[in-house]
Amino acid sequence: MQAIQFEDFSYHYPKTGTGLDRVSLEIPFGSFTVLTGANGGGKTTLCLAMTGLVPHFFGGSLSGQVLVEGQSTAGRSVAETAGGVGIVMEDYESQLVSLTVFEEIAFALENQGLPAALIQTRVSEALSAVGLDGLEQRELSALSGGQKQRLAVASVIASQPKILVLDEPASALDPEGAEELYALLAKLNREQGITVIVADHDLARALPYADTVIVMEQGRVALQGKPTDVFTKMLTDQVYAAAVPALRQLKGRLEKEHPALSDWLNVDAAASEINALLSPKRRLSLSA
Amino acid sequence: MKNLAPLCNLLLTIMLSVWTVLLWNPLPLAALLALELILIGYAGQAGKLARPVLGLSLVAGFFAVIQLPFDVAIPTAIASGLKMMVMTVAFLLLFATTKLPGLTAALVKQARIPYEYAFLFTSALRFVPDFLAESQAVREAQTCRGYVPSRNPVKRLISYAALVEPMVLRAISRSETMAMSLELRGFGSARRTFSQQIEFHGRDYLVLTLLAAMTAVVVLYR
Amino acid sequence: MLDIQQVSFAYPGHAPALKELSLTVAAGDFIGLAGRNGSGKTTLTRIMVGLAKPVSGQVLLDGRNTLQCGPAVMARAIGYVFQNPDRQIFRDTVAQEVAFGPEQMDWSDNERTQAVADALRMTGLESVAAAYPRGLTRSFRQRIAIASALALKPRLLILDEPTSGQDAEEKAQLMSLLDELNQQGIGIILVTHDMELLLAHTRRAVVLHQGEKVFDGQTEELFAATTATKVSEWGLRVPDVAAVAAKLEKPLGAVRTVEELADRIEGRLRGDEREKPGAPM
Repeated sequence: MQAIQFEDFSYHYPKTGTGLDRVSLEIPFGSFTVLTGANGGGKTTLCLAMTGLVPHFFGGSLSGQVLVEGQSTAGRSVAETAGGVGIVMEDYESQLVSLTVFEEIAFALENQGLPAALIQTRVSEALSAVGLDGLEQRELSALSGGQKQRLAVASVIASQPKILVLDEPASALDPEGAEELYALLAKLNREQGITVIVADHDLARALPYADTVIVMEQGRVALQGKPTDVFTKMLTDQVYAAAVPALRQLKGRLEKEHPALSDWLNVDAAASEINALLSPKRRLSLSA
Repeated sequence: MKNLAPLCNLLLTIMLSVWTVLLWNPLPLAALLALELILIGYAGQAGKLARPVLGLSLVAGFFAVIQLPFDVAIPTAIASGLKMMVMTVAFLLLFATTKLPGLTAALVKQARIPYEYAFLFTSALRFVPDFLAESQAVREAQTCRGYVPSRNPVKRLISYAALVEPMVLRAISRSETMAMSLELRGFGSARRTFSQQIEFHGRDYLVLTLLAAMTAVVVLYR
Repeated sequence: MLDIQQVSFAYPGHAPALKELSLTVAAGDFIGLAGRNGSGKTTLTRIMVGLAKPVSGQVLLDGRNTLQCGPAVMARAIGYVFQNPDRQIFRDTVAQEVAFGPEQMDWSDNERTQAVADALRMTGLESVAAAYPRGLTRSFRQRIAIASALALKPRLLILDEPTSGQDAEEKAQLMSLLDELNQQGIGIILVTHDMELLLAHTRRAVVLHQGEKVFDGQTEELFAATTATKVSEWGLRVPDVAAVAAKLEKPLGAVRTVEELADRIEGRLRGDEREKPGAPM
């Protein structure tokens, strides 16, 4: 069983007629996937389809199906699906509906009818997982943008979903904030085995954590696979090539004349290989 | 104030408004206003509310003065100005002090208000600060495009479209996200529990008794 | 053109947001303004356009004190493009939207029409002049906000994170628009977290840290001459291109883009030792 499985899934929004076009993909449990692609390519729709909000909330026509933890989203209510998959939406501030931090995190749990003592435990666990320990009584209006986002993550993971979907979570954060967020997601992925799916334009910051990259284009899955392979394809097939991280672009350029460079996972690896390329010995052997 | 049970806090604000409606003499109204100001100070909101209160007093003063040419007795004019002032300050007090943990739970469990309505009320409170920040941001954005509200009242009203429309559109998109959030989190489920302990303590009963006594005094001696 | 002299600012009850900061902006500058959230970037740009008044210090525009000028007056000299264009777009067509600013000015009808036409042309929006702005993509809406600022004919444009929410291709298009505007003599201050854009497009970088100016110089210098620890202490990230270039045993000079670095390496590999640093991409 896959965490998420799209089976030849097509969907059209009722108003615009755009959406997803014959999407087939499998996201295994425990994976860390980055979803990218030009705006309007279907990233957000794909995220919403994983939660059942597409089509339940928006209406519209569809064919094929989406399975979350082996269950079709079509046959379950959004709230039922949400028990297994949590989403932090792009406009995460509007996703928060309560006056205080405690109430926000407890909201879904109270709706599920969990006993009070369990809710108390879950709330403090979720807060400590996102690094907001002890802020239960804080009013939402007193939180910073970054804290609100962490709260949105906490309120989702308090329901203990196996899958976490985030739609462009880092767009309002500074580089450090973005790095902290990714580190948090990586921790949830590694320590609790949560399957993470992040939509992001900045592939460089996701690269250290992601094991899969999906590129969406005009409602279709254009590319899917290991980051290295996808980056190569993005460059050679010119699919959203501008988004390829700088190191990979450099590697792509140099490989036109000097193939078989290793994977450049970081700056040091890149620099040492370029140094080797440029070293006099190597150049002597090249000219010989 | 922050130590009171949320419902007690809310009742205090409501009763302030009720007394204001019942009273017609400037003196007790002035006393009520003084009480409100003391409460604001006690709640530690003096710094935050000083400017709005000052602004309101100017408006109320203007409201009182403008009635004089229409043969309204001076005490009545003053009283109506004060009434307006006391009522609006009561609402400021409400917004500044009742954002307390457990308000939703209190409304449902103690005041027996249906959950959907209680939720509507508290989530509206949740968005007040965001709304204010948003209106400030829109105003600044338009000012940086050269927007200056016209002196001509008709033109001024028309030009408000520049401020109102972006806010309305933003509110619509917000409410859509919020609706999705509610659906995701099982809002409206019949199984709902409340996990917060919200009990009345001695001081709450004391305040409630005072509120009742005060209401009796107002009704009998107004 | 713009001279900020020892400006300090504090929000009531908070630590000072700016501490005696001085900055001179010359006509036609292309400045990248960087620093972590809360470092004072926004406060500084707000003071430049009159949205905030400094506690002490002066802001001089062409030698004249601007502290009495509100933002609506300043808009004729300095355009401010906010991060979120949806907070200002409210009219039915792009052309009407752009005309909002000129309508607030005591200009003749001719001047207004011309200003709108110029702004649409400069931002490449002529083809969508009659379109409904809210129906266009975020990148178009961002352009509309830029056109709205340009319609008042400012000499300096401040943009707060204009690339947020844009995809890689939209970012590239937006940046080349800024390059073009700058070539036409309009000064640009780009507030951004994206160090790759900063390095590739701005000539001068200004870094704020805890309300103080900690760097003001050539952008390449920021990543080449400043130690990486300093840069990360300021909450910035050295772009990979610069980081790789800095680690090469035989220095290739300061580089701004992947293309430039690749060209230099390939040039070196071909034995072209006369490769000159600093060539435009």
